[in-house]
Amino acid sequence: MSKTKENKGISRRNFIALAGGAAGAVALASMGLPLGWAENSPEIDVEALDLEKISTEVLVIGSGMAGLFAAVKAHDAGAKVMMVSKGRLGSSGQTPFAKGIFAYDPDTEKLSIDEFVAQVSRSALGSNNVAYTKQMAEHSLDRVKELESWGFFDSAIYNKSFRKPIEERNIPVQERIVVTHLIKEDEKIVGAAGFSIDKQKVIIYEAKSVILCTGAGGFKPNGFPIGDLTHDGTIMAYNIGAKVTGKEWNDGHPGRAENAAACYDGWGNMFEQKPGTVSIEVHHDLGVDMNYKAYVSGNSVKMGHPGEANDNAITGGPYTPAEFKRENVERKPGPDSEGGRPPRGEGKPPGGGKPPKEGGGPPGMGGNVVGGSSAGMAIHKSEGLVPINDQCESNIPGLFAAGDALGSYMSGAIYTQIGSSLAGSAVQGGVAGEAAARYSKGVKNVEISDSKIEAIQEEILAPLKREAGYSPAWVTQTLQGIMIPNFVLYIKKESLMKGALAYIEELRDHHMGKMCASNLHELRLVHETANMIISAEMKLKASLMRKESRCSHYRLDYPEMDDENWQAWINIFKGEDGTMQFEKQPFGQWPNQDIVNV
Amino acid sequence: MGLVMKKDRRIYKMLPLFLVFIGIPLALWFLSDFPERSLLMDSLSLLTILAFSLLLAQFFLARTNRELVKKVKMSNVLRIHKFIGYIFISVIMLHPFFIIVPKFLDNAVSPKDALIRLITTFDNIGLVLGLVAYTAMLVIMITSFFRFKLHLKYRTWRTFHAYLTSIFIVAAVWHVISLGRHSNTAFIMFYVIALASGIYYLLRTYLFKPTSKSIKNV
Amino acid sequence: MAIESINGCIGCEECIKSCPTDVIRLDPKTKKAVITFPEDCQICHLCRLYCPVDAITLTPEKTIPVIVSWG
Repeated sequence: MSKTKENKGISRRNFIALAGGAAGAVALASMGLPLGWAENSPEIDVEALDLEKISTEVLVIGSGMAGLFAAVKAHDAGAKVMMVSKGRLGSSGQTPFAKGIFAYDPDTEKLSIDEFVAQVSRSALGSNNVAYTKQMAEHSLDRVKELESWGFFDSAIYNKSFRKPIEERNIPVQERIVVTHLIKEDEKIVGAAGFSIDKQKVIIYEAKSVILCTGAGGFKPNGFPIGDLTHDGTIMAYNIGAKVTGKEWNDGHPGRAENAAACYDGWGNMFEQKPGTVSIEVHHDLGVDMNYKAYVSGNSVKMGHPGEANDNAITGGPYTPAEFKRENVERKPGPDSEGGRPPRGEGKPPGGGKPPKEGGGPPGMGGNVVGGSSAGMAIHKSEGLVPINDQCESNIPGLFAAGDALGSYMSGAIYTQIGSSLAGSAVQGGVAGEAAARYSKGVKNVEISDSKIEAIQEEILAPLKREAGYSPAWVTQTLQGIMIPNFVLYIKKESLMKGALAYIEELRDHHMGKMCASNLHELRLVHETANMIISAEMKLKASLMRKESRCSHYRLDYPEMDDENWQAWINIFKGEDGTMQFEKQPFGQWPNQDIVNV
Repeated sequence: MGLVMKKDRRIYKMLPLFLVFIGIPLALWFLSDFPERSLLMDSLSLLTILAFSLLLAQFFLARTNRELVKKVKMSNVLRIHKFIGYIFISVIMLHPFFIIVPKFLDNAVSPKDALIRLITTFDNIGLVLGLVAYTAMLVIMITSFFRFKLHLKYRTWRTFHAYLTSIFIVAAVWHVISLGRHSNTAFIMFYVIALASGIYYLLRTYLFKPTSKSIKNV
Repeated sequence: MAIESINGCIGCEECIKSCPTDVIRLDPKTKKAVITFPEDCQICHLCRLYCPVDAITLTPEKTIPVIVSWG
């Protein structure tokens, strides 16, 4: 046995040597890098794990802003609702860190809603879905007023205000449950399955409809508070045949060079501020332009206004429409910070105790910055399930998604209206909740077959049963080493993406199924890592397919926008043979080719 | 002049006690490697620790400490005992509020919610003991203040005071050991030794009853 | 190292619940929060913000060198 272990240890070291250089491997090993392949000694008795079955009508997965409104509105529409979350209500995903929420107030805005939608479309270079852009603006004020009545704007932490409407309605909430599977029978959704990280049990949820409010995802990048966002919803849905989109877009947030992993410190005191509302302010905030600067000039970039002198030395790179260049944008004073968006372009600290502006670097961001802080994440609302209509419905009957889990292209393939991320999640949550409640009324009882339950339980627990295997932390770090460098996803070119894809396919084929877990924390990491691997494959393949540059997708080998071929979104789905399939969906059309109307 | 001299001498005679109950916690504080907090919070912590330590010192600033009573007169011992009791019980009474002071300074949990959370986490034995100790402490202070209005016989009152104090201090030390932010091994040893010696002094007085004689001798 | 220490814990479990990456667990014997998986700490400070008694100390450093896109 010990001999096997030794051999595997060597092969692991060889692998690190390939990925990062032998010297690096030695250095990392001495710093407590998790073991790659090792024997597994489970701390819990897998055979003794309980199985629980719960029935509801609408199952809301995720407890951020979208989940909150999905649960509340589905309940108010008469459905029996249950919320289940990997984290805690109001304290998981990106919601707890979002401090600005857009509210379109017709009494104070100069632009009409249609003019606003048109402005977003110009910045998004046609890549937004106008129905969702408009829907967000139309409903935003109502959602903000509801949030206000629950006390949302009174505290920097949101659990209390989120709990208020949930408790008033007696909506059951299960926290710290890792949902790993969506369940489909007869082409319809019938529920989901997961496990508790505290209580040693597998839980099967029977539900007439499911709303994914699972947020976006990244590769657990350092410096951005998305360590719990691993594309779980998207990949679960993909696995049962849902179409997903938006994988080629990139969120390009930098972090501080010093202590790059400290996301709290990188954002200054923003996490401690109470949220506020934001009025119309449309940008074309790339982030990838900074990656380009760093790529061309060689190293870390000084935070500065994009119009400043040091900027002029570099030509080319990602395109920003003239109307939305930062120097042309009139900056309005006031509490107009942005949800979920820390520093992008400039290093001016926010003044007067107001929440920092979107685009404004937090205090302390004046020094050198490094990229990859949000690596693996796409633009808000661009990545996720493909909606078949403006009701947040996916191509699988009964499966809905809202917020960053839905590829609604509300903002387009670039972040446009500041604060619209949080507003969009609230609005879409409400829309999806009502739609799911309506759908559920037409569904008779659902039942999940015992054979399916048995198979899923086996899949969930397999990593605990493995006698030896790769540690999920090590696989994640290997994945990060492949995907985070800025010459892979930010400054894209065919050869390197193909190289990275070879590595990712290796992880998919030879590591994904061989990860082991000795406790429930690691079991969660195993499932998260698997989701990240599939998402990495999607990101690389979609990026290879889009042979143009547009918005937050920048190809060094195809630097121009190609309107002839690429006025289209890329949808990804699992083919009959289990392989990853791709299709184009023209901008401005629903999947059934109906025109998106405003 | 002579009076001052006399007073000075009395304080001098109490010096070893203060050295133990102020000096040791101070030394332990500075020698321990506690995570640094704001000056305000560190000051409040230190004040609370010293207050608690001085309440432990009360065992030795009472009739039970025959040697001291011999040296500085019972009336003076009593005066100090009362002074420390009233002042530092007040500090300890405020310590739950000290703990939530940071919550006044941020936008997260409201001070009210924090306090409610603090005093209602009943599944923790340390907290329950803290509540017991707090109540006992309140009763000790009130009954001391209204001692003469209670119309109790002196001995009855004294026994009541001693037993209630024992309940208080045992619960309090346990509470401090289990929950105290600064309860490391060194502090725990200090508290336990002080408590054990204090209880010993008390038992010596009450079980072997030599007090009345010795007091007459004063 | 990210989340560094918990001092003066009252066992209310607020930090355990509010940690997005499951770093903190309750010690069943002492009924106190224990830093159990510090390597997964994303230094977001939610635990500290939710703690009613300000018991949690965090530092910006991380022991394992971090992978960034450039720099």
